[in-house]
Amino acid sequence: MTRDISMTINGEAREFAVAEFRSLLDALRNEVGLTGTKKGCDVGDCGACTVILNGKPVNACLVLAVEADGAAVETIEGLQAAPDKPSPLQESFMIHGGAQCGFCTPGVIMMAKALLDENPNPSEQDIRFALAGNICRCTGYTKIFDAVRTAADEMRKVRVS
Amino acid sequence: MNIGLSPASWKSADAELTIVGRSVKRTDTLEKVTGQARYAGDLALPGMLHGKIKRSTIAHATIKRIDASKALALKGVKAVLTHENVPRVLHYGSPHPRSASVTKDQYILDRKVRYWGEGVAAVAAISEEIADEALALIEVEYEPLPAVFTLEEAMAEDAPQIHDNGLSGNDVLPPVVVSRGDVAKGFAEADLILEGEYHLGRPTPAYMEPNVCVCRWDGNGKLTVWSSTQTAFMVRGALSEVLGVPLNKVRVIVDHMGGGFGAKQDLFQHEFLCALLAKNTARPVRMEFSRKETFLGGRSRHPGVVWLKQGFSKSGAITARQARLTLNSGAYGSHGPGVTNVGTAALTSLYRCENVDLVGRCVYTNSPIAGAFRGYGVVQTYYALDLQMDEAAERLGFDPAEFKLQNAVREGDIAPSNHPVVGHGLEDCIRRGMAETDWLRVRKRARQDGVKRRGWGVGCEMHGSSAYPGIKEQGNAVVKMNEDGTVTLLTGTAGLGTGAHTALSQIVAEEIGVPFEAVSVVQGDTDVVPWDIGAFASHTTYMGGRAAQIAAAEVKRQVLDHVAPKLGARPEDCVIRDGVILAVGTNRSISLREAVAPAKGMPAAQLIGVGTYSPRKSYSFAAHFVEVEVDTETGEIAVIQVVPVHEIGRVIHPIAAQGQIEGGIQQGIGHTLSEDYQIDMKTGRSLNPSFVDYKMPLAMDMPPIRTIILETAPDPGGPYGAKGVGEDPIIAIGPAIANAVAHAIGVRFRHYPITPEQVLAALREKKSGAE
Amino acid sequence: MRRFQYHAPNSLAEASRLLRELGETASLFAGGTDLLVEIREELRVCAHVIDIKKIPGLRELSFDEENGLQIGAQTTAREIETSPVVRTKYPNLASAVAALGSIQVRNRATLIGNICRASPSADTLPPLIADGAVLTIWSEGGARSLPIERFFVGPGKTILARGEIVIGVTIPPPRPASARIYIKHGRRKAMELATVGVAVSVDRAGGFCRDVRIALGAVAPTPIRAVRAEAVLRGKNITPSRIVEAAEAAIAESTPISNVRASAEYRREMVGVLTRRAIEVVTGALQ
Repeated sequence: MTRDISMTINGEAREFAVAEFRSLLDALRNEVGLTGTKKGCDVGDCGACTVILNGKPVNACLVLAVEADGAAVETIEGLQAAPDKPSPLQESFMIHGGAQCGFCTPGVIMMAKALLDENPNPSEQDIRFALAGNICRCTGYTKIFDAVRTAADEMRKVRVS
Repeated sequence: MNIGLSPASWKSADAELTIVGRSVKRTDTLEKVTGQARYAGDLALPGMLHGKIKRSTIAHATIKRIDASKALALKGVKAVLTHENVPRVLHYGSPHPRSASVTKDQYILDRKVRYWGEGVAAVAAISEEIADEALALIEVEYEPLPAVFTLEEAMAEDAPQIHDNGLSGNDVLPPVVVSRGDVAKGFAEADLILEGEYHLGRPTPAYMEPNVCVCRWDGNGKLTVWSSTQTAFMVRGALSEVLGVPLNKVRVIVDHMGGGFGAKQDLFQHEFLCALLAKNTARPVRMEFSRKETFLGGRSRHPGVVWLKQGFSKSGAITARQARLTLNSGAYGSHGPGVTNVGTAALTSLYRCENVDLVGRCVYTNSPIAGAFRGYGVVQTYYALDLQMDEAAERLGFDPAEFKLQNAVREGDIAPSNHPVVGHGLEDCIRRGMAETDWLRVRKRARQDGVKRRGWGVGCEMHGSSAYPGIKEQGNAVVKMNEDGTVTLLTGTAGLGTGAHTALSQIVAEEIGVPFEAVSVVQGDTDVVPWDIGAFASHTTYMGGRAAQIAAAEVKRQVLDHVAPKLGARPEDCVIRDGVILAVGTNRSISLREAVAPAKGMPAAQLIGVGTYSPRKSYSFAAHFVEVEVDTETGEIAVIQVVPVHEIGRVIHPIAAQGQIEGGIQQGIGHTLSEDYQIDMKTGRSLNPSFVDYKMPLAMDMPPIRTIILETAPDPGGPYGAKGVGEDPIIAIGPAIANAVAHAIGVRFRHYPITPEQVLAALREKKSGAE
Repeated sequence: MRRFQYHAPNSLAEASRLLRELGETASLFAGGTDLLVEIREELRVCAHVIDIKKIPGLRELSFDEENGLQIGAQTTAREIETSPVVRTKYPNLASAVAALGSIQVRNRATLIGNICRASPSADTLPPLIADGAVLTIWSEGGARSLPIERFFVGPGKTILARGEIVIGVTIPPPRPASARIYIKHGRRKAMELATVGVAVSVDRAGGFCRDVRIALGAVAPTPIRAVRAEAVLRGKNITPSRIVEAAEAAIAESTPISNVRASAEYRREMVGVLTRRAIEVVTGALQ
């Protein structure tokens, strides 16, 4: 059965119809047309589909779209302030080699954002623990940690100044 | 085109480079970090259908009967393909068809099934869910055939033949034989002879983006394919051949792709099936593998056995080397020939030995298909070689790093490609790593008695950039200068995500003399870019970069010819720096923008350069120094730190080069300690086709890595002397870990992956042996 | 089959009725981090998904000295993992819950869901058994309590009758001189199903063991209490040789299987190593 649902995606109200068995991931990619969130496994093992749902990072593949009716969803597309103004986190990934093939990147960045929202000064162990559920097969993680740490430092500077 | 040591070749290390060698902000990553990058699976076309493949649940069988009528009757299903209604054309399944690397042994769909999980039918439906349900409605009756899963079973006298290729014993190709010198004499002279059998498991690439393609036929009978592939032109060629469509009616587009590591060189069944479904339904079709299918339908590294015997003099020289390599190809040949050739030939080198006798075999079994994967046979053979060298060092009383240094391949030695080695990169790597890790001191630690024991090990490798001479490759590039002085590079090289296109832009910018930001890249469209063999064999920077450099040099020549008269100078007296043309020795200059712009009544000059490069081979080197810790109660091995030292001629983009090394190390740690794609040895059923049970090291497991890159042996064939780096790290790390474990607990393993259980068993055996 | 119908009842009565009426092809849906996976991997036929997250009163996460820790059916693993009172009073449960998948999974997965899934290797079950947790089971006839160790009958199988819903779990308050630990063995540090899980909760006076409960996961068709291992220590002084003996008894009580994750022999061996280590830590912790 198809249901009409509405949610706020990256601050914008969106209404659409979706089959009740569809995941939030499929709905974002198909019904809403936001393909930045990726499908790496569809069973919650890889974190490529990480979005922030009502303030909490989740695997969108394991949320039904109909459950997100009335919810606030943040995806990678909503992270930058303007199309040509990437956020400090995104900027840091670009500079420090945090992305190679880029497929895991939206999920990694959203999880990193959730981490920094909760803990603006994470240790390396905190970063590793937060990203435990995000699989990257290209970078070996070293530069992902560099990118998150540097972004955290940058963002704390901005806050203080 | 004369491709010698022309002015457009590598510059000496002294020449001042302003763009090459810097970690410029990568141009492609803005799209990736904002979620704007389009991968093949992101494409949605109006009316698009979804394709799915039905996979066999038996390892070896003929299909007695296949009935799709119930599936076709399901509401929403638009087409079903079986072996009865697809073209029956034998193909390579894998590209570079005119090379010796691949095997012509696949049909799109066959009446026979040769491994558990092979595709037997395909469906197109209006949704993925309906397509999945339709698969269950396709009825297949199998007539089982005896199946063989191990090399022993497959090579036995009475083994069932999996393919009719005229060879016996389930051989994929006739044995590869390489011999030099006189091994009998060498063994006779040896003071020490070591012999060992090394067993290699089945790691698999596990790239993050599952295989996917979208196909659409237009009203003129032209097929467009968006695919996640490393070899767009090969996909075009194979589809053209198998579907009977001329090349100019097949267009393959690769925008971004989410990792391949070699395995996305092959055409998987889905690219053919997707094209046929799109044709049958007259609608676009998307076919995406599930994660499970990337295991079932993808390509793994060749498992197998290396038997290795070497003779050593007590002064530490290697007097003879004899090896028998037997690789498990799985159900189809794929890159079996290439991997066997390269893996076997690699044993002529790395550590110097004049007398070698090597035979490599590749054997079919009813197992998952092995194919190209980063390291391509050399991961297997150098694991054996380096481990045995480490053992020999101990037996002869040498430090292993010094022993390997003493025997390291030298400048002028003949490399596996039959060309002389340039420079002394391997020696440089070993020396540097020893200094960085204070090697002799850390190795001299007293034997430990605690539960957790630490050890240090070193592993070495060399690997060629390019697949020469197995394949005659060619990279092409076109460089255009636009009428505002900006530059567009058209390159056939694929965008795997390694940062290669940024490197190519840097090379073009450096060569012409414009800012890095003035260069943009067009890639991945076979209708637009020049032909390219594809991204693999660590050759993108080396081959694609050199072609780009040649094309850029041509454009620069045209610019200077065009502009010099305006400055009242000769072209040879002008230089371009940062987008400005200067007449050297004068104060006359003009910006590129001004110089090439259309003037009143005059069109802009047409400035286009074309570069073609057929590479020879260059070798990159590495020595990895690794510390491990072994828990002697649980058998768990943890990698504590890695110091990889790589010599790659010239670094184009330091961060990208480090990224390749660090990523290769993650895969290699996995290979060596935990990754093994396994099947049930009675039924051939896949046991762990998922991320839950295919164990890769993740964020919490990866050790700190202190990457060191040397540029001591630039290669004249590469752009600015650059060589490849993509495969080297995955080859060196495994031996380094195994050797470190030997240092920690005194046990020498001869296989990968090394599991905790095996560590405990070995420790028990050692203890009871000592009592 | 990946198409199913979605129901979101507003009360336990309605949820229970749906379960009974729709029968075998209906499943309760809380976090969905197991259910949706099983549907997608075709391990479970599910035509109806009954979402219990709209039912009020199931979000409990509270502690008091008399009743102990109370957790409701909708309480997520992440909420439990990060709760200060759980981390201080029940560090074994906190570490077990933190070992479940990833943060993304734990923001959805529920403890009750993990319990009802009844996987023999579930991390949360050994510490709950070791601490004597009690389940509250709701049905139309009323609610009943059941000690968690009586809940499991086989891999993925519980004593629940059709229409019964587990709505909460209560863990008794920790005794003053008690300590508790859960150790998980896996092939990597996260994103891992336990090859062996050992929970030890001990209550002692100095070097004397007043009471001990040892629970093992992933080494039998259900999580089990190693009662013979407990008997080695209970009511006796804790000595290194008794610890070893208890570990050995635990091995004898385990009946693990061999699968792609580990062989039975290795699992047995790890039961010994981890039981010994767990007892050493919790008895050392009180010095």
